[in-house]
Amino acid sequence: MKNNFGTVYSNPSYILIAIGIFFLLFVPLIIISEFLFLEPFLVFSIYPETALSFSLIVILSLFSSIAVSMNIFRVKLIKETKKMGSSIIGTIIGASAGACSCGPIAFSVIATFGTAGSIASSFLTLYEIPIRLASIGILIIVIFVTTKSLSHECKVEF
Amino acid sequence: MVDTKKIAVAGAAVVLVAIVTVFASSYMSDFETSRAPNTEDEFQTLELKQAPVLGSKDATVTIVEVGDYQCHMCKLWFEETRPQIVENYIETGKVNLVFLDMPFLGSDSTPASEATYCADDQGKYWEYHSMLFTYQEDEIDGGWANANRLQAIAFNLGLDIEQFDKCMTTDDHYSRVNYNKQVAVTEFGAKSTPTFMIINSVSGEAQRIVGAHPYSTFENIIDSLL
Repeated sequence: MKNNFGTVYSNPSYILIAIGIFFLLFVPLIIISEFLFLEPFLVFSIYPETALSFSLIVILSLFSSIAVSMNIFRVKLIKETKKMGSSIIGTIIGASAGACSCGPIAFSVIATFGTAGSIASSFLTLYEIPIRLASIGILIIVIFVTTKSLSHECKVEF
Repeated sequence: MVDTKKIAVAGAAVVLVAIVTVFASSYMSDFETSRAPNTEDEFQTLELKQAPVLGSKDATVTIVEVGDYQCHMCKLWFEETRPQIVENYIETGKVNLVFLDMPFLGSDSTPASEATYCADDQGKYWEYHSMLFTYQEDEIDGGWANANRLQAIAFNLGLDIEQFDKCMTTDDHYSRVNYNKQVAVTEFGAKSTPTFMIINSVSGEAQRIVGAHPYSTFENIIDSLL
């Protein structure tokens, strides 16, 4: 498994892709989860109650960046997108959790969809931590399966 | 035959784009409405003088908090940032605080706001306000702010229950809460809770803050307005 990681990330392009995906996910998530404020000036803050949520965002972003970049490598080799889809779905599930607290997204969703929006927003807020954990679980499985398949399907010899 | 894998990936991509679009549009529209009113005239419609005020009515700076009693970030601000503001600015007479209701998260939000004004009729607005945030639970409309619980809070505060019940059942303050919500949305451009407007009542200078910012943000802005 370690060697498969080495194979993928020996190419600097994939390191850059992973870093790019990490920040593409991490920055919007910490903004919508109100850890980072851009207005009236740049402020970063974590309250003790939200430390777990922040940690899960870091882990989710990290695993998403690994899963997606490894799958891009894999897709380029064997043109098969099954696990790519799984990693994107895992990322989306995790990213959706907590996005609907009492922020502008929740306001837009509730204003647009009324009671249904309110229920959806409430669900995503209430189960933020379990949803993020489930998402991280999906991503771990995707990374594991992708790493294994790189050995078998791509016939990488070590 | 339709390739289900491709459909799954395309579907996931569409959802991702939709999430990014909703986020971007919400966030950018927030910037568009982040204009801070500069004159006192713009606040006339708020009729804040009738709202319960925490602190000295003669304070130079007023913090208007736009909130929903079921909002978790409002509770976080209430527990983490507000006590420091109360200690350093409100108790020293420099700042006062006004709460503007924007109940939008669930069906229990509006009755909770109404209940605070029913408590205000008996002189316990801020006590009731604090109790709501103290006993707020995670689940929106999960029953923690239903009619029975609102009555229990009133009972714990030693309010006249008969008067409180009459106030709640006749919706004495429904129009007031509705008005506050309209003001929050139209005058403040509030699209989330908590949103704050920090106003120098002498110069009319104002600064808007969106979100449960830490104490340092409030300290910087209040000091610049004093």
